[in-house]
Amino acid sequence: MPGKLTRRQLAAALSSSAALLAQAPLPPLPQNPDEELKAARDQNRQIGEQLARFPLPMSTEPATRFKA
Amino acid sequence: MASVPNDIFFATATEINQKLKAKEFSVVELTRAFSERLQRLGPRYNALALALPEQARSAAKDVDGDIKRERFRGPLQGIPFGAKDLLAYEKQPTTWGARPYAGQVFDYTATALKKLAKTGSILLGKLAMVELAGGPSYRYASASLTGPGLNPWDRTRWSGGSSSGSAIAVAAGLATFALGSETSGSILTPSAFCGITGLRPTYGLVSRHGAMPLSWTLDKIGPMCRSAEDCGYVLQTIAGSDSEDPGSAGKSFYYTPQYARDFKDIRVGFAPVDFSDWAEPAARPDFAKALDTIKSLGVKISEIKLPEFPYGPVISTIISSEGSSVFEPLIQSGKVDELADQRQIAGLKAGLEIPAKDYLKAMRIRSLIQNAFRDLFYNVDVLLAPSRLTPATALTQPLDRPLSDRQMPSVPGLTALIPAGNLAGLPALSLPCGFADRLPIGIQLAGQPFSENLLLKLGRAFQERTDWHKRRPPLGEES
Repeated sequence: MPGKLTRRQLAAALSSSAALLAQAPLPPLPQNPDEELKAARDQNRQIGEQLARFPLPMSTEPATRFKA
Repeated sequence: MASVPNDIFFATATEINQKLKAKEFSVVELTRAFSERLQRLGPRYNALALALPEQARSAAKDVDGDIKRERFRGPLQGIPFGAKDLLAYEKQPTTWGARPYAGQVFDYTATALKKLAKTGSILLGKLAMVELAGGPSYRYASASLTGPGLNPWDRTRWSGGSSSGSAIAVAAGLATFALGSETSGSILTPSAFCGITGLRPTYGLVSRHGAMPLSWTLDKIGPMCRSAEDCGYVLQTIAGSDSEDPGSAGKSFYYTPQYARDFKDIRVGFAPVDFSDWAEPAARPDFAKALDTIKSLGVKISEIKLPEFPYGPVISTIISSEGSSVFEPLIQSGKVDELADQRQIAGLKAGLEIPAKDYLKAMRIRSLIQNAFRDLFYNVDVLLAPSRLTPATALTQPLDRPLSDRQMPSVPGLTALIPAGNLAGLPALSLPCGFADRLPIGIQLAGQPFSENLLLKLGRAFQERTDWHKRRPPLGEES
């Protein structure tokens, strides 16, 4: 079973996504509903890519218990 | 009996309750005065969704009867309050701040409101909110059926959201306390912007039965008050197990800060960069004083950083996925287009298309976040940070754009504490701690789950040493 993430793996995953985000110029504000929808879809896709870059041990289950 | 003095509008629940017991005025007189004020000034700040003067008067009459017979039901007895219009109140409109739900009526009352009614608190009315509690995101303060929440300290500024009317009502003395809700920042942000004390409880501590769902795994109901002590009494009343809320933690809460550990044994972690570099320059002097005040309590202070995770993408994916699923009928019907904010409309539509792999990845990372915070709290008891780095934003400011073009630090400090704390289900308390550009600012204290008494103990001590929570906005002649 894969073990825990190393700090180096974690830092690499995070720094790449954070740095990319910080460097990316902001797109202009959408001007109509079609542009808004495209912008929202683009944002979700980018967020999905960021999440995909985050390395997870295979054994990590989704958080389903919130009774801390 | 004498008429109600003007200072009462800015008194705490405990102060008013003592005057009611001393029969300085009746609950009916108090309720009438607050009702009139809420109806007169509420619309001026876009704070009012629905006034309930008749219901309030009837409830007040009953409470007067109880007080006359010396049936005392605690510090909230006879206290007038307002509730965010996301909470159902039987046979009255509950709009969720959104045009498509303007005619919505439920035949039941939210558990939190029922609990307050049992202790004799008087519901004055429903308070405005950002439409659908802002889910999944919105661009402008105007994203509400009632228009943008106007800040009582400066009506060209936003009140913050999504619990906008709740914060305005408390800040402007239109209600002694209010209920708000938080999925990610909706209690802490308006509390900080309007200069009031707000408590986000641990996830599951307060029943959400009768509350609009936005994100089942993140939504919390909490008090917005004039002091930390009032937050404690309100939380004590509304907390508790509820079989009608699947997220209920099955726990009660008793406000007993006297039994929380001694100050010398409380370990407070903070990131200096938040106060020295991240905070708006105009806010730094009062943030620094607030930090000194916390230090002066005798707590153990240490520098700390948050565990490194992509908090923003994780919480955004969870809110979008769950929110779009909740509102799928609205989206599919096309009525979603009646919402006020174009970004919100698009976000809801796009949220339906988020792949399962992204939602699951976010929830799996969330597991690690919760574990990481469990580990973090071996070293500290409380995390301290600015509630917001700036005072209230201008009404026209696009909320998805940077507020300033100044160079930001390369280290994150605790700037992600709001999404991180919500993902981990942590309680947090926002305390007014000064002003920047004549607008209130606040600090937040976040602790491990169910550590509300510890946070409230610190909050009460902070407010014994400062008077920021007692400041009143310049309401003008009509106040």
